[in-house]
Amino acid sequence: MQVVVVVAHPNSDSFGHALAERAVSAAARAGHEVHLLDLYALGVSAAMTAEEHHAYHGDTPILDPVIAAHAALVRAADTLVFVYPTWWSTVPAILKGWLERTMAPGVAFVFDANGKVRPGLTNIRCIVGISTYGSPRAYVKLVNDNGRRTLTRALRLNTGLRTRRSWLGLYAIDTATAAQRAAFLDRVDRKMGSL
Amino acid sequence: MKVLVVYCHPSPTSFTAAARDRALAGLRAGGHEVRLDDLYAEGFVPELSAWERTNHLAPPDTKPYIGPYAANLCWCEVLVLVYPTWWAGQPGMLKGWIDRVWVAGVAYELPDGANRIRPMLPNIRRIVAITSHGSTKLVNALEGEGGKRIVTRSLRVLCNKLTRTTWIALYNIDRSSLAEREAFLAKVERKMRELK
Repeated sequence: MQVVVVVAHPNSDSFGHALAERAVSAAARAGHEVHLLDLYALGVSAAMTAEEHHAYHGDTPILDPVIAAHAALVRAADTLVFVYPTWWSTVPAILKGWLERTMAPGVAFVFDANGKVRPGLTNIRCIVGISTYGSPRAYVKLVNDNGRRTLTRALRLNTGLRTRRSWLGLYAIDTATAAQRAAFLDRVDRKMGSL
Repeated sequence: MKVLVVYCHPSPTSFTAAARDRALAGLRAGGHEVRLDDLYAEGFVPELSAWERTNHLAPPDTKPYIGPYAANLCWCEVLVLVYPTWWAGQPGMLKGWIDRVWVAGVAYELPDGANRIRPMLPNIRRIVAITSHGSTKLVNALEGEGGKRIVTRSLRVLCNKLTRTTWIALYNIDRSSLAEREAFLAKVERKMRELK
């Protein structure tokens, strides 16, 4: 399978990057073709530009060649994996902006003759979220996990009906022990090794 | 009242820009003291940096770039967010303003060894969101209304305990009529003029 792993964390030596590397190595070991998109390392901008917004409903909605390459990978992928720290109950700005700029018309969805949105990601068979949280799980549930909702509901609505969703979360990370972190890395390994 | 309007849209000719103008007109007609942060026009950088992440608990005076934004946030009694809803939430640019400005020492403090943060914005008594959605209210409900919950829960818990939220949204904008859009803009202006 074609697997695209998107990681959004500013620090290259972060636990988030360790998670992404583990996800990539486990999927590769299982024989999948894996592409890692490190949004910060690639210098992806979180802000859709006025030019991009103007082009959005036209024939060529994606203007940035880096984003266009990412869109091509998404179009060819079977599995999308998102690795990020949850900030203010949702994805970091850079990942939100990447979704807006990559998941453009013709990639994630198309407008039909009546101007209604129709799914474009019918190639995606599985969406996997891997996130760390500063808050305990109960608090995340209380304020709502909006990053998870964005990826497993809003994005999921644009895939096929049979697309599966998996969510792996490490909660209360500030007080997590080294053993808990290692166990979470192993969980990511098992999940990605058995896609 | 002291009102901070945070506006986020890349295009000056957008419907969101019209909503901002009508909100400002209403606020001024209501006699409020208004400050505006126009994130695109001011060239706000939305990506939290590696340094900021590593030093996320450092005092805000170590982050001079966010100084004016943080000062406005700590000054206002009403926060008005004007933005288009994209992928069920705030645009990356506005999310970046939250990521970078709502930091320790401005919006919250995290005592040693605690998992729960303590709010630091008791000055904010009301949060207003003025937004448009391409999709219908039903689709937004299916998607879980992430953007709405970020405003009414994630941000609200950092403000005054009695903070109220006002949600002014136009759904299904892509298929709305001119009359519906005009009615929405009139509602925005009226709600801002009558703000208490």
